[in-house]
Order: sequence, then C-alpha cells, then structure tokens
Amino acid sequence: QEEAQAIDQELFTEYKFSVDQLMELAGLSCATAIAKAYPPSSFTSQPSVLVVCGPGNNGGDGLVCARHLKMFGYQPTVHYPKRPSKPLFEGLTTQCEKMGIPFLPEFPTEAAFIDELYGLVVDAIFGFSFKGAVREPFGSILSTLERVTVPIASIDIPSGWDVEKGKADGLQPDMLISLTAPKKAAMHFAGRYHFLGGRFVPPALQEKYALNLPPYPDTDCVLQL
Amino acid sequence: LPQAFPLPSLPRKAPTVLVVCGPAQNGAIGLVCARHLRIFDYEPTIFYPKRSPDPLYRDFTTQCEKMDIPFLSYVQLINDAYNAVVDAVLGAEAEVGEGREPCAAILATLKHIRIPIVSLDVPSGWDAESGSSGGISPDVLVSLAAPKECARRFLGRQHFVAGRFLPYDVQKKFELNPPEYPGTECVVAL
Repeated sequence: QEEAQAIDQELFTEYKFSVDQLMELAGLSCATAIAKAYPPSSFTSQPSVLVVCGPGNNGGDGLVCARHLKMFGYQPTVHYPKRPSKPLFEGLTTQCEKMGIPFLPEFPTEAAFIDELYGLVVDAIFGFSFKGAVREPFGSILSTLERVTVPIASIDIPSGWDVEKGKADGLQPDMLISLTAPKKAAMHFAGRYHFLGGRFVPPALQEKYALNLPPYPDTDCVLQL
Repeated sequence: LPQAFPLPSLPRKAPTVLVVCGPAQNGAIGLVCARHLRIFDYEPTIFYPKRSPDPLYRDFTTQCEKMDIPFLSYVQLINDAYNAVVDAVLGAEAEVGEGREPCAAILATLKHIRIPIVSLDVPSGWDAESGSSGGISPDVLVSLAAPKECARRFLGRQHFVAGRFLPYDVQKKFELNPPEYPGTECVVAL
C-alpha cells in the first residue's frame, strides 16, 4: 500500500501529472477492460451496468468509467451517495449527467433487484488508500453486493478488502482492474478476469520501483493478466 | 500514429519521431501526444521553440522532460534523423497570415522535408476554412473531435478522426455526424 502511495506521490510531485489526467486514463482503462470481458452483445437483454461510486478517488475513477461506458454503447446508471465538494468530482458528475447517465438517489435494497435490472456492477467504492472501518452507507451497500449474482468488476481493490491481505468473507468480484500495478491483495483475487490498466507509468518509475510489468499490447490501454 | 506508421514498418532502425509544438493549444496536444508515443515505445523528440506560460501546458512539458524526451533548441537534418514529423504547430484557432516567428520559420522548413508529416487537427498554416495552397502537405491528418472545413482540401494518404469524447447531444446540436468508432478505439480512419 505504501509503495502504491509513493508512486502516486511521485507522479504528482515530480512528474507534475494532475489528478484529472491520471483519473481520466484510469477510468478509460476500466471501461476498456469491461468492454473486452463483457461486450454489449454478451448481455442477455440491454447492456445495463450499475456503477457504485465511493467518496474518494476510486469513486472518481468510477465516474470516468461510467462516461466511457456510455460512449462505448452501454447503459450505465450511477449511485454516488457521498460526493466530495471539489471541482474535480463536481465536474465529473456534471459530465455524466449531461450525457444522460441517471443517478440513483437510493441504493436498491435487495440484491435480487440489482440482478434483475443490471447485467454488471462496477465496484468503484474504495481503492488502495482504504484503511479502517467501513462507514455507512457503504457497509449496507457492500452487504447487498456480496449477495448479488451478476458479475462485479472492482476498480483496483475489491471494496472492503484489506489492501494487502484481502478478505475471505468479503466481496468476490468476477473482474479486477488493477491500476498502475497489481496490489498485494490481488493475490487473493479468485475471479475470472484480471486486467492491468493505467498505462501512464514512465519507464524510469517502473524501474525505480521494480514493477516488472508485462508489456501492454501495441497501443492498448489495458492488458489481461 | 501507430496505425499509420506501425513500429515494424518504420524505415529507420530507431523509431524516431520529431514532434513540432506551437505556442498554443495545438502545441500542448503535441506534448501529450509525444508522451504517449514514448509509452508506445517510439522515440519522440520535441521542438517547442515558443513555450506557453499556461500552467497546465508547463506541466505537460515537465511530464515529457521527466520521461527523458529530448527538447531541441534547433532542428536540422530532419530527413536523416526521423521517420516522421508530427505537426502540432497551429490549430483551427490560428490566424492566417505571414510572420509570427518562430512558427513561420519552422513551417517553411516543414514545407520542404521529404519524410511524412502527421498534422494534428489542421495542417499548420492552412486557413481552417478554405485550406491553403503553398502550405505544408501532410501525409496524414488527424482531425480532432470532428473534421474541420479545410479537411476537404486534404490530399494526403490517410485521414483519421480522434478524440472520442463528444456527448451525443453536442454531436446532434452541431450536426457533426462523426463516424462510428470501432469497439473501444479512440481513433477511426475515414
């Protein structure tokens, strides 16, 4: 977890990347990975996707992902219960709203409702900075998601998992999109699809932290691990 | 660029590309392009004679510098050193006219090179609406968001549209009718 935070810090302070730039590339990777694993034609009816966004940067990644999913022909719906009052997140929210992406005011109370309405759930609740106890409303949301039968795609870390040790009785996503590099928790991932995204790490940083990332295929922004 | 000039097809041993960046937004797009070319394993070199004071564009410059992309103080021997040139000098907002060093100088040089030119959005020095004879002749044009009027005069080999971010209602409102992008691609050949 510390290493991931150190890499991020260097990208922002030394390389002068903005959070907006990296979040856009990260969210685009997530949407691209989802489109490769679950193309719109693979859905039983409409390609409807529920994107659950948490209160931090992972939620921001989810908002970007939702917007690109819309461009790729999906029908995303967002649930974003706790919104930071920062221009970045307000901007991302507006971009989604103006593209006709609905925002649910309430989270579905039953897993069965989610299974009926959506073919896929994107978990953009907590990321690699997550520490400590899960605060409401996310505790209830995660309990419901644990009972959902449609596939779940988690962004960077399955929400609720310990960033290094995982969580055996927690969320079991079908897809994990590791951003920049896989985190320790990824070792406990047991789903079908593990993708790497966030193709922006300069070669010098990769060497410095001995990331040993496999090469991405030509100009793709995702790599299936 | 990789679609028009894939790595295995390049004539020179090293996948070198010269990216010429102007002082405004088109130049900034060139800086971002250079960074991604580096990630795609090309060897970009940047010529950015008149740098913008805009903090966002200054950060783009830092990102490139920190990725070991060289910035030239002058250009020479373009035909010998590079496989292709990315023209990110002037965009659709530029005024037509003579002068405006150092853009005029570099554009005069680019008119005479023999290696392919890839122009971003508008061939630099062309009038955005009517085009221009006597200006540079790019091999490849990458129209951003939607083709500009002057694209009708484009005579090069390949025309791409890139910048897959226009919401549908903006497309409809301005009657843009962009082509369908395949799958998750952010570039489409016209």
